[in-house]
Amino acid sequence: MIPLSLKLAWRETAHSWSRFVFLFLCIALGVGAIVAVDLFATNVEQAILGDARGLLGGDIELSWRRTMTQKGQDVLDSLSARNIVVSHVTELAAMVAAESRQPAHQGTKATSQLVELKALDSFYPLYGSLIVEPAQPTKQLLAPIQSGCQRLPCFGAIAQKSLLIRLNLSLGSELRIGQTNFIITGILVKEPDKIATAFSLGPRVMVSREALDSTELVKMGSRIHERYRLQLPSSSHLERWLGELRGRLSPEGVQVSSYRDAQPRLRRFLDQLTLYLGLIGLTILWVGGIGVACTIQGFITQKTPIIATLKTLGADSSQVIHIYLTQSLLLGSIGSLAGGILGTGLHQGLPLLLQGIVPETFPIEPTLTPILRGIAVGSLATLSFSLWPLLAIRSVSPALVFRQDVDRSTFQVKPDSWAVKLTSSLKGWWNDRVQRMSSLLIAGCLLGLAIWQAHSLSLGLFFTGAFLVGIFALLGGTSVLFWLLRHIHFPQQLLLRHATSNLQRPGNFTKAMTLAIGIGVMLMTTLITVQHTLLALIEDQIPENAPSFFFIDIQPDQQALFKHVLETQIPGSHFSLVPVVRTRLTAINGQPINPQDHKGKRNGWYFTREYVVTTFQSLPKDNLLTQGEWWENTQRQNFMDESQSQKIFPWVSVEEDAAKNLGLSLGSTLTLNIQGVPFRTKVRSFRRVDWGSFSMNFFMIVEPGSLDGAPITYIATARVPRTVEVPLQQEIVAAMPNVTAINVGDVLDNIAKIFRQLAMGIQALALLCLITGAVVMIAAISINRYRRLHELAILKALGGSRGLLLFSLGTEFGLIGGFAGLIGLGLGYLLSWSLLYFFFDLTWAINLSVLFIGLLLTIALTLLTGFLGTYRLLGFPPLSVLRQE
Amino acid sequence: MHLFAGNQAVKILHDISFEVSAKQVLAIVGPSGSGKSTLLGLLAGLDRPTHGSIHIHGTNISTLAESAMAHFRRQHIGYVFQAFHLIPTLTALENVALPLDLQGIATGEERAKTLLQAVGLERRFHHYPIQLSGGEQQRVALARAFISQPPLLFADEPTGNLDSATGNLVIDLLWQLHEQHDSTLILVTHDTVLAARAQRILTLRDGAIVNDTSPPS
Repeated sequence: MIPLSLKLAWRETAHSWSRFVFLFLCIALGVGAIVAVDLFATNVEQAILGDARGLLGGDIELSWRRTMTQKGQDVLDSLSARNIVVSHVTELAAMVAAESRQPAHQGTKATSQLVELKALDSFYPLYGSLIVEPAQPTKQLLAPIQSGCQRLPCFGAIAQKSLLIRLNLSLGSELRIGQTNFIITGILVKEPDKIATAFSLGPRVMVSREALDSTELVKMGSRIHERYRLQLPSSSHLERWLGELRGRLSPEGVQVSSYRDAQPRLRRFLDQLTLYLGLIGLTILWVGGIGVACTIQGFITQKTPIIATLKTLGADSSQVIHIYLTQSLLLGSIGSLAGGILGTGLHQGLPLLLQGIVPETFPIEPTLTPILRGIAVGSLATLSFSLWPLLAIRSVSPALVFRQDVDRSTFQVKPDSWAVKLTSSLKGWWNDRVQRMSSLLIAGCLLGLAIWQAHSLSLGLFFTGAFLVGIFALLGGTSVLFWLLRHIHFPQQLLLRHATSNLQRPGNFTKAMTLAIGIGVMLMTTLITVQHTLLALIEDQIPENAPSFFFIDIQPDQQALFKHVLETQIPGSHFSLVPVVRTRLTAINGQPINPQDHKGKRNGWYFTREYVVTTFQSLPKDNLLTQGEWWENTQRQNFMDESQSQKIFPWVSVEEDAAKNLGLSLGSTLTLNIQGVPFRTKVRSFRRVDWGSFSMNFFMIVEPGSLDGAPITYIATARVPRTVEVPLQQEIVAAMPNVTAINVGDVLDNIAKIFRQLAMGIQALALLCLITGAVVMIAAISINRYRRLHELAILKALGGSRGLLLFSLGTEFGLIGGFAGLIGLGLGYLLSWSLLYFFFDLTWAINLSVLFIGLLLTIALTLLTGFLGTYRLLGFPPLSVLRQE
Repeated sequence: MHLFAGNQAVKILHDISFEVSAKQVLAIVGPSGSGKSTLLGLLAGLDRPTHGSIHIHGTNISTLAESAMAHFRRQHIGYVFQAFHLIPTLTALENVALPLDLQGIATGEERAKTLLQAVGLERRFHHYPIQLSGGEQQRVALARAFISQPPLLFADEPTGNLDSATGNLVIDLLWQLHEQHDSTLILVTHDTVLAARAQRILTLRDGAIVNDTSPPS
């Protein structure tokens, strides 16, 4: 036998399903957004964890960025003897020169391009598969080529298609990298140990280790990344190996990771991305929840006679609440199911929106768990948002069976001031156990949802708090505007008076509509403002005189040649050429740093990163000394390294944020590892650096003379006119093939492109929030459909033309749009200011055009939504409506 | 009994005091606005008086909590309304069985069938209210009122929405069921013929009892 509550719930739903279309939509949109993001997150997890060994390239990876010490080399050499398969991969940025095909009459043209070079041995890849076109063995594709190149030596190379497109090349074309020529023998389709291509300096080129040696690019101090991937015997204990290798190699500056930590940066980035997208999804669900609450409240008002009847027949309030709660949950579950289907569809589109950011071969298979989770979340949200309006059932008196024609929403008992109302509501709440328990249940559910979606208690609390602040601000703002409207009189404007009084009448859900639209506007304004500010920072705020090119890996003996090339190409140019050494921080005040202790922690990278250290006699421009002294007029010498019982510590000046995060004070000692040699320095000062100047800036600067004898390379910056960029690059590549030229504009363009793409993906989801807001508005309008129809019929009967009625409705909806727009924009600006100020340390400026366009668009959206919800009512003949009274 | 219109308290009923014997038929009559339905609502435990008390079978129903009152209604009271108040989404059979369903009694359907047969609706078990005529709907309401075998039945203008022939049929059935179940019947009516069938008539005017008579049998 079907329980009465389920039977009644089902019959009521089937009987008046059209009233629940919007409740259904509100839940479906919210759950759809959450499911889409959850499916995306699951796919990220699958892509990273499913093929974790392939992504790391082995069971264990040993990576470092400098020449290996003898002690470390001994450990590496011993691995093969212990039955471990080792694959050695070297990565570095390099310049490629090519002669690209031009239209027939122009012949060929020499071009160059910054690429990410990867040298492979015959064991690569240990896991996963490298997919290349044509499908031939890698060894064969990268083998030395005896004929075909203009100069020797010559090797085969595999290149990413984007390089071929940029340089107008094809299979069989010739390239020059360093001192070696290459023939493109394959096009890279899938690289097993790299899943995202957006965050790279240039296209990938793969060559053999033998070919890399012949390029002569790897010199002392070159910026290279060495990786040893280990395949352990199947019986090996991974943790034991990790422990041993970390113990033996970490002191040598080697980072030891297992496949479980594969792609930590990408994983962190995608985790953060899915977290923010998930919170936007939750915002959509909660905005939809406002629609649920309105629909239920309207439904309960309409069902008052039936509730009263049930009570006369002996049902108590809890039985009736049970019936309608079952109905709400039934509808919420169906809506959630539809949301699951919608989310699966949206999920197919997310990788398209995030093209370039997520891997090209990203899996988009839907899985069941996120869909089931979405249905559970939707049902829980339905419970949370419908419970409070359902409690109104308790105040429905059975005696209403005698007074069913009384409109309860207009029946006010003892109208009081807001303060009295608030006090009595709070008192009533405190004395009513059911209300107290329900409030706790609702708060617990919503908070639980937020914490679950945010994966953190603090972020969940912050999100809920921010949402509540937004709600109170919108409600408060609307109340103020209502108060103002009450005190403005429109004596000559009947329809205007009608429109403004309509806004404030009981049961009109104006505040709910303002809330739903306002939150969407707030979200969009925040995202757009933050995006504009950050993009402006990337695109517009590069100082006029900022350098446009960085040149790295200039060898000491190439200084004169470099200056000559630059002066030839850009006569009278100003450029900086500074010596640098690459170091790693190994100890602070004699306390060794264990990179594992700081991995994955906020700002932990200050302890694990590579520090490029330079020396200056004077404090560089764009730097401001905040503590300590500079060594301007001091001349010291005879620095000795630690192995020689160092007597004098060279001084170092540290950037203030780095100093703060490393916990330094003046006089602290830092031990830096330079190519395996410890280099101890003493902190003399802290500096504030203007990173936005795009000049050469450094976290650590040591006093002159202290780097003598260290493996120095030079880096240079220059401001290069647009017209000279290509010839200068060609000339540098031809004269010094080992020098890498980085075009700042290209890098910034790339960052801006990624950022725009990312912003578009996020905004597309946020747009769904506005759409949900519009659905909530239509839902709220449809609840009062009959009352509005009745009023319009009376106005028509009294001589109101369709145009005048349209004007009245337009004024009402326009005012809602104006309220929601103004408050939403205000809150959005406030939120974006907080984000930019506290998280990005950026100043914020109000953009009047965004404000104006935003306000107009919001008004247009509410007008359109309002008319969509009411246009049919205008067509009813007044007599047919009034006769039904 | 007071209601508030704005800030102004309006006295609906005052100085009302009377007793009704078990199995008696009491008719409450009076002009519109005299407080008949309000009095019926109070007697039936659907509303609460602002002053005074109402005792049924020794229980002061004015002080019962909401759930206790609901329980009391289930056990002791049946209703017939002018506007029928059937649940539109339930069939005739389900409407009649509803009070027992609310009490969690599983055999409601069998008893509902018996009662529907008793009111002549054996062919209308699975019809929804909208598919029934006014007279049929009121007969369903009658069957529903008696399904719990309540000792006390309240009827508010039971023939008010019916033509006179159908009204007479419904009243005959009401009396028949009242006699079969030995219940006390209190009804509000404008219909003097119907009122004349009662054993006692209370006449209300401006919220007060102006007459309490027993018509000759």
